Amino acid sequence: MTDLHELDELLRAEDGDAGCDAGVPIMDQYVEIELRGEDPNERFPGTAIHLRVCPGCRADHDGVLEAARRFADLDPD
Amino acid sequence: MSVDRSSTHAPAHRSVLGDRASRGWVEQLRPDHPRHEHAAAKLHDVLQRAATHELHRRRGQLKALSGPEFDDVAQQCADDAMMKILARVDAFQGLSRFTTWAYKFVIFEVSSKVARHAWQHQPPGAEEATWERLPDTLTPKPGDQAERREQLAALVKAVEEDLTPRQREVFVAIALNDVAIDVLALQLDSNRNAIYKNLFDARRKLRASLAAAGHPLSDEEAHA
Repeated sequence: MTDLHELDELLRAEDGDAGCDAGVPIMDQYVEIELRGEDPNERFPGTAIHLRVCPGCRADHDGVLEAARRFADLDPD
Repeated sequence: MSVDRSSTHAPAHRSVLGDRASRGWVEQLRPDHPRHEHAAAKLHDVLQRAATHELHRRRGQLKALSGPEFDDVAQQCADDAMMKILARVDAFQGLSRFTTWAYKFVIFEVSSKVARHAWQHQPPGAEEATWERLPDTLTPKPGDQAERREQLAALVKAVEEDLTPRQREVFVAIALNDVAIDVLALQLDSNRNAIYKNLFDARRKLRASLAAAGHPLSDEEAHA
């Protein structure tokens, strides 16, 4: 740690953080909002806050987003 | 510890409102559909490719995994995700594209398996990291000013005196020692959400303690 900002980051705990479980059922919707170029913070503000702070959920989010981008949508036929 | 974070919380047998491809997946993945085998094989193939890609993305946590084992884990992730998807296909509500919904299952499988692998392959003694062994992060450096030294001293005091043993254990492991939250959850026979709550509460308490000691980290805390 070198300054106040770093200490602030180490102790980051924002109001409105939805926690880990809240993001599980909506992660696909959250990612699709991003893929449309829209801001998921408007619909899922608590999860948007959470994803800025929780590295575990952030990694899962990034994985779903990457898969949706890379493998895209498929038709079953 | 429960590692199933794939439940949708959605009631079963909702009408499917999604796009044409999503409706096609839901129809064809039903066991009595004539194209079930074809659709299931196609979905499994893309899930396995997504799992392989995700495992590569997280390879920093998989140092002990060799080539064939890597492929086996990818297949296991795809198999397990596939089972969950087939069991829940009627619960798909069409709130996203079906494939994005399906990718969520396989990414969560990868996440769980990577955490378990990292936990099982931790270096000896990693689980014994304690507050007493980790003061360096919060030790003032020679060039630090007096105010900075006082601030760090107040934080050290708050970690020692104001946190519960569980909050201290979680804060020290994750915030100071970079232990992955899912690895710590496995270590403590807990789950990610509960550990995150411990960490959140610890951080809140430490911020309040710093403010009370005259070292607020924000304007709001300065004027609280």
